[in-house]
Amino acid sequence: MVENPYRLKASRIIRVIKECEGVYTFYIATEEEAQFGQYNMLYAFGRGEAPITIASKGEGYLVHTVRAVGDVTRYIDSLREGDLLYWRGPYGNRWSLEEAYGKTLLILSGGLGLAATRWVFEEAMKRPIKRLIHLYGSKDYDSLLYKYLYEEWSSKADLRAIIGTSHPQWKGKTGIITDLLRKLDIEKDSLVFICGPDPMVKACVSLLKEKGIEENRIYASLERHMKCSVGTCGHCMIGPYFVCKDGPIFRYDLIKEYFERKEV
Amino acid sequence: MIGLEGLRELFYLLSESYKVIAPTLRDGLLVYDHVKDFESLALGYKNVEGPALYAVEKASNGYFTYTHPANSPKAFLHPPELRLMKVRRSDGALSFEMERVEKKYCFFDVRACDLSAIKILDRVFLEKNSHPDPYYKSLRERAFIVAVNCTYRTSTCFCNTMGTGPEVKGGFDLLITELEDSFLLEVGSERGEKMVSLLEKKERTEERHFEEKERKLKYLKDSIEEFFDREGLAQRLYGKMDSSHWEHIEKRCLACTSCTQVCPTCFCFDIVERNSLESDCSERIRLWDSCFSPSFATVHRFNLRQSIHSRYRQWLMHKFAYWVDQFDSFGCVGCGRCITWCPAGIDIRQEVRRLAYG
Ligand SMILES: Cc1cc2nc3c(=O)[nH]c(=O)nc-3n(C[C@H](O)[C@H](O)[C@H](O)COP(=O)(O)OP(=O)(O)OC[C@H]3O[C@@H](n4cnc5c(N)ncnc54)[C@H](O)[C@@H]3O)c2cc1C
Ligand code: SF4
Ligand code: SF4
Ligand code: FES
Repeated sequence: MVENPYRLKASRIIRVIKECEGVYTFYIATEEEAQFGQYNMLYAFGRGEAPITIASKGEGYLVHTVRAVGDVTRYIDSLREGDLLYWRGPYGNRWSLEEAYGKTLLILSGGLGLAATRWVFEEAMKRPIKRLIHLYGSKDYDSLLYKYLYEEWSSKADLRAIIGTSHPQWKGKTGIITDLLRKLDIEKDSLVFICGPDPMVKACVSLLKEKGIEENRIYASLERHMKCSVGTCGHCMIGPYFVCKDGPIFRYDLIKEYFERKEV
Repeated sequence: MIGLEGLRELFYLLSESYKVIAPTLRDGLLVYDHVKDFESLALGYKNVEGPALYAVEKASNGYFTYTHPANSPKAFLHPPELRLMKVRRSDGALSFEMERVEKKYCFFDVRACDLSAIKILDRVFLEKNSHPDPYYKSLRERAFIVAVNCTYRTSTCFCNTMGTGPEVKGGFDLLITELEDSFLLEVGSERGEKMVSLLEKKERTEERHFEEKERKLKYLKDSIEEFFDREGLAQRLYGKMDSSHWEHIEKRCLACTSCTQVCPTCFCFDIVERNSLESDCSERIRLWDSCFSPSFATVHRFNLRQSIHSRYRQWLMHKFAYWVDQFDSFGCVGCGRCITWCPAGIDIRQEVRRLAYG
């Protein structure tokens, strides 16, 4: 008997945090094993499934942050503490954090991409990383995720955020993430993790290359259309790769050929 | 060795334990369908095919005078529509009833190209998949395969270019080759052996029967031209991703999805929800999908493959290059169906040849 990969499990939602309008973070009770970088398929009855990154993990729970953009995600964002969430996973590969031991690790997150880098960022704070820098760009003040964690994060790492438009409560910089990156001094043998929209990834990679960081030291987490998440439906293909199972994280030199070419 | 009566007996023997899927005539097409009586088989007919051209005619003599049906075994092993599960909701909690597919099919008359296509689907769904598909597995394990060696071809066949035919090599339970005045019956599995032992109308096979088979196959093989070299093909195509030829194809391709539907190896699917009027029950359905459809590569309501040439490139590159990296084989078996059923008459053999060797 082979295990049915489409079978869904139920987990109780034990905590809900409103990040901003239309974005909620859910803590779900589960003992399931998972790795930073992986994602789950979250199910909404009668509506379908959506791939959602595991934003963090603690003793007996997993964390998901969901932005309501369509049928499935809107339903999930309507759930509250005590409700059941149905899901399957975890799927995909993990960030290659060990490669950064003894070196500088630079994390670049754009918008909701922070959900995909948060857990590995938290882990990195506990590991033998020489210097940990996290640049985070967000559209505006309201859409900044995890504001309640910045104080703690800033005490353990070099966290720099930038927002698109100024705001009375914002003391930091305004602009886009590449403005921060351009000014950054960084060693050539640093390791870089990126998650954000495709154009942001491309722009960051070209700046990094100017700084002498080679493409095989850069990892990006990609977003593609996914239906099965187990390498069978074909939707997530990019060149010869299935983003659902070969990714979502790719070493940049391996994916570049397909990622940079139009409409692959 | 069996005669026509032996063939009839075999057909009914198989019908006792299996749902027999065989080539039959339907609406002027030769198709795989459930066949209950021997007389409904398409024996003695032939299919005439060319780019955007199809006809069925009566053959002048012989029985297995056609090549392969318009549809393929994929339509049964990976059905166009399959329920994965039923979901019920009561008191805010959901329960799931996973679908069990337990049909026992006998494919009566599978040609070399389609047999290779089944082996390719085995890799996609089971062997090279770390989450083997239980639905495919269940249908596949139960399937009994009677393969038939082709003794004719149509103008769209290019199995020898792809190295899949015309000779059937392994992967069958029984294998039939039509000879001048009888049918050579070969056994490929224990199940096949058992079936033959139940057969009453059979005769001893002699050396000359095998010789006749060899002769016939060689004659056929020599009549099918080689369109391009398989060696290094994937690498050549990887080098042609920016070729202007893709845009030339776009002028003809309608993105109608026909090619992906008739293809015996195209596996892509969608999963959709089917909701009923009683709002407490929903079904999750797997439907064939196509890389030509505009929703296929949509992320946040934006189709990453806007142009039709990028979708054609996805299809051809997948079949002849990506597939090799993914599953260690080509995704094309040279059956020629996509050539016949393309309303624009796009001939994939020519496109590959022009792209890679032009
Ligand atoms: C690996 C991965 C991790 C992700 N992590 C997160 C996360 O942590 N938080 C978050 O809010 N969003 C995340 N997304 C995006 C999220 O999956 C989509 O926003 C969601 O699928 C939209 O579904 P919908 O039904 O609500 O929207 P609709 O736009 O109504 O539906 C879009 C349709 O496209 C399908 N689809 C499949 N994959 C995607 C995709 N990547 N983008 C858009 N549509 C898709 C959906 O199943 C649905 O059928 C992630 C995507 C991927 C691929
Ligand atoms: S690509 Fe065309 S010729 Fe090749 S297997 Fe598919 S339908 Fe047949
Ligand atoms: S190649 Fe032909 S069959 Fe395939 S999508 Fe284009 S027009 Fe349709
Ligand atoms: S999501 Fe189905 S193959 Fe990747």
